[in-house]
Amino acid sequence: MIRDIEGVAPRPVRRPTAGLMLGAAILPLLALSAGAQEATGQAPALAEMVEAGSLPPVAERVGDEPEVVEPLNAIGTYGGDLRIGLRGSSDHNHILRVIGPQGLVRWDPEYTEIVPNVAERFEVEDDGRVFTFYLRDGMKWSDGKPFTADDVLFNINDLVLNEEFAPTPPRYTSGGEPLQVEKVDDYTVRFTFKEPYGDFLAELASPLGQHPVLYAKHYCSQFHPSFNDDVQELIEANGATDWQNLFLQKCGDLEIPARWGNPERPTLDPWVVKEPYVGGATRVVMERNPYFWQIDTEGNQLPYIDRIVAPIDQDVESLILAVIGGRIDFGLRHIDPPANRPVLAENREKGDYRFFAAEPPGGSNMVITLNLTHKDPDLRELFNKKDFRVALSVGMDRQEIIDTVMLGEGEPWQHGPFEDHPYYHEQTAKQFLEHDPEKANALLDGLGLEREPDGVRQMPNGEPVRFQVDVIPTFDPVWVDALQQIEQQWAELGVDMEINPMERTFFYERTSNSNDHDAAVWNAKQSWVAGQIPQMLVPVHHDSRYGIAWRDWYLSGGENGEEPPESVKERLRLYDKARGLTDPEERRQTMLEIAQIAADEFEVIGVAKAIPTYGIVKNDLMNVPEKMPSSWYYATPSPTLPQTWFWKDG
Amino acid sequence: MLLAYIARRILWTIPFMFAVSLIAFALITAPPGDYLTSFAATLAQSGDIVDEARLDALRERYGFDRPFLVQYFHWIGGVLQGDFGISFEWQQPVGQLIWERMALSVTLALATLMFTWAVALPIGIYSAVRKYSIGDYFFTAVGFIGLATPNFLFALVLMYVAVVYFGADVSGLFSEQYQDAPWSLAKIGDLAAHIWIPVIILGTSATASLVRIMRANLLDELYRPYVTTARAKGLSEFRLIMKYPVRIAINPFISTIGWAFPQLISGAVITAFVLSLPTSGPLMLQALLAQDMYLAGAFILLLCCLSIVGMLVSDILLAVIDPRIRFR
Repeated sequence: MIRDIEGVAPRPVRRPTAGLMLGAAILPLLALSAGAQEATGQAPALAEMVEAGSLPPVAERVGDEPEVVEPLNAIGTYGGDLRIGLRGSSDHNHILRVIGPQGLVRWDPEYTEIVPNVAERFEVEDDGRVFTFYLRDGMKWSDGKPFTADDVLFNINDLVLNEEFAPTPPRYTSGGEPLQVEKVDDYTVRFTFKEPYGDFLAELASPLGQHPVLYAKHYCSQFHPSFNDDVQELIEANGATDWQNLFLQKCGDLEIPARWGNPERPTLDPWVVKEPYVGGATRVVMERNPYFWQIDTEGNQLPYIDRIVAPIDQDVESLILAVIGGRIDFGLRHIDPPANRPVLAENREKGDYRFFAAEPPGGSNMVITLNLTHKDPDLRELFNKKDFRVALSVGMDRQEIIDTVMLGEGEPWQHGPFEDHPYYHEQTAKQFLEHDPEKANALLDGLGLEREPDGVRQMPNGEPVRFQVDVIPTFDPVWVDALQQIEQQWAELGVDMEINPMERTFFYERTSNSNDHDAAVWNAKQSWVAGQIPQMLVPVHHDSRYGIAWRDWYLSGGENGEEPPESVKERLRLYDKARGLTDPEERRQTMLEIAQIAADEFEVIGVAKAIPTYGIVKNDLMNVPEKMPSSWYYATPSPTLPQTWFWKDG
Repeated sequence: MLLAYIARRILWTIPFMFAVSLIAFALITAPPGDYLTSFAATLAQSGDIVDEARLDALRERYGFDRPFLVQYFHWIGGVLQGDFGISFEWQQPVGQLIWERMALSVTLALATLMFTWAVALPIGIYSAVRKYSIGDYFFTAVGFIGLATPNFLFALVLMYVAVVYFGADVSGLFSEQYQDAPWSLAKIGDLAAHIWIPVIILGTSATASLVRIMRANLLDELYRPYVTTARAKGLSEFRLIMKYPVRIAINPFISTIGWAFPQLISGAVITAFVLSLPTSGPLMLQALLAQDMYLAGAFILLLCCLSIVGMLVSDILLAVIDPRIRFR
């Protein structure tokens, strides 16, 4: 569907990939041309400012080692706005996804290898205990101040590892000790871990991995009591409650709206905030960063597009109307449920847009997890019988669900990576998928669950086999529709399932915190590559709703929660091992070993394979790939580099 | 007599406001969990891991672990000094967030009220005077449709038709160039050019019910002996109807001002949501969902105060118009 641009050579064959993980001492591949290319081109408005003497020349702004980026189809031209639609007032991560988490490293567009980003190159030594990052010589923050190793040290030592500040836990601990960071010289930093930490690079490439380079020391340190004795005055002047609040107000954090709320905050992003994202805002506007550190292969400074404009629509329906009305140039988030596709397809001409595919890296759109650590001993005993779970799985007519509520798209699937993925594990994905009510009934009979006259089976204690499935209806509209069918299908087995829809916070409080749920629905779109947490295989995450008490035990080092059975402990041990491995093949084998144990236990019941969704992009917007991976860890679409997108006749 | 009544009425609102603020705060803190739970849920949705010990530390910092009454007095004490606290979600003082949105809400509410009256009053009178005429049937039919259609649905249909058939954008209250522009005559003009759409959407059902009320009340009056007497004395029909029966029948209009205020603001949340209006509704809804306590609290408190003030206004107006009221 993407229009070809005449006279433009196809993209050269990709350089050989280094596999899913970068092994020790494999040097980054995209850095080879750095420095070989002079920055010569720039946006006309910036050129005028240089002419007028209010801005340094472009070569000086991008520094000596800008990253040279090869655009997907064509060298672009400058100008224009890119309009994206924000939903409601808490959609800050949509901005993050387009601007990109400009961390030390990033994923390549195919989501298969990690490439340098803010760092010019890196080295991994000592089996994944030591990571050295070489920063770009002469690189600048968006206000023109130099970006150096001191900024990284400020971020790690004064914020990430500062107990008083960080509202999120210190990531990057290994062997119970936090990482150490040292400055080798102005442009070199070294991170050291106690134990091997093979997943470190992948974590840095994720949206939550930007911490080492998030805050500009010269600006943000003024809100930090260790650097400013008069911080109290600033707190009062800004109506803040304490220095932490002041700091968040001014400098934001990875995942809060205030990150986009202060136009004065220097960043490393391709566009910087002009009209901020604050409570009263009805739109957000971001303007090109005149000091952005990437150039194209002809020496033109990126980004090509002048501004990102993000009107705020409260409601998905009005967002879709905005798309149809041609007022959105790029859209994926919120508008991509299958139900919207017909109306989006129908109005392609009117809205002057085309579709691109957003492909999940694997897994399932919908899984049901019974609470295996239930507080009620009878339900717990029942749920912990594998035969019961198998009966529920084969008592489910997945094809019927797919045909009716999923518009016929997808195929029956438990969870886990797809067939063509290196991590594919057949049993995890494909066991117990056949619809076989006879077998299901036989299994339930075998468990001694007798049917009462009303058709509902009874547990040994005389209580009916009845449980609630908690679900957030607004998260994925398909879930509740599918549950209604499953409710009927299970009712035929004599299992009385009730749908329990609730708001997101209550859901989280009930299922992930206080472990009050019987069962819950979530998605499981994982391929288990580094950086993704395999929460459906091992209970290490709040989405592991089959074993929240086990997760508490793991995360607290055995202090809280409940000691899990041997099978879970074995998997936890293997998972810790896998996270440290730097050899891709070894890591894959270990993960498959975990998957095998998990498959034998069969804790999670999946419904259908995650299918690609579709986003829209304006016909005249160039360099946007026809398909891209869709994942939070990849932060779609930022690794496809929106800074290289441009308007055809811009 | 009238002044004493007004003074007594005003004095009564003060303890009432305190009671209301206490209830408002209790309601906001009632749901399980707090802002941090909601924050954790948001982080969870995007795959982050949240450490409970850290959340507890934050809880302590924000004072969520203190007893309810301590939290309440801390809050109301600040409010009395004009400090509404901090919005956790936006990390901004609440005061900065609410005023512009409240101003737009009140503008919209007043415009809708005026529209409702301007349409409902003449139609109601016409329908009563020309009972069972074609015009009466027509307005009755239209009125019932207006009453029966949920506002948000009406809004969605209107938006769909506008976008798909006319290529127009009917959401929001401002054109793009004025959204973050400072206030100017041109911006007010732009507001006027946009505001009529939500006004009509929000006004339809209120208009329909007021038409019916006016019609019924007026019909009660039209055949009273005093009307016949006045007519016999040779008063023109128009003056006759306007001067006596209408003045009595208009009573419900005045007494509904009180709840028109909060109803227009809170009742418009879903519509404002659909139409992406920068009014208080969507921000309040979001604050409630996120359990952004002080922000939600400020909105609820303001809404309550508005209704109390609205009641006060309608009581006073009623007392002025209908002398029977002030003697209990």
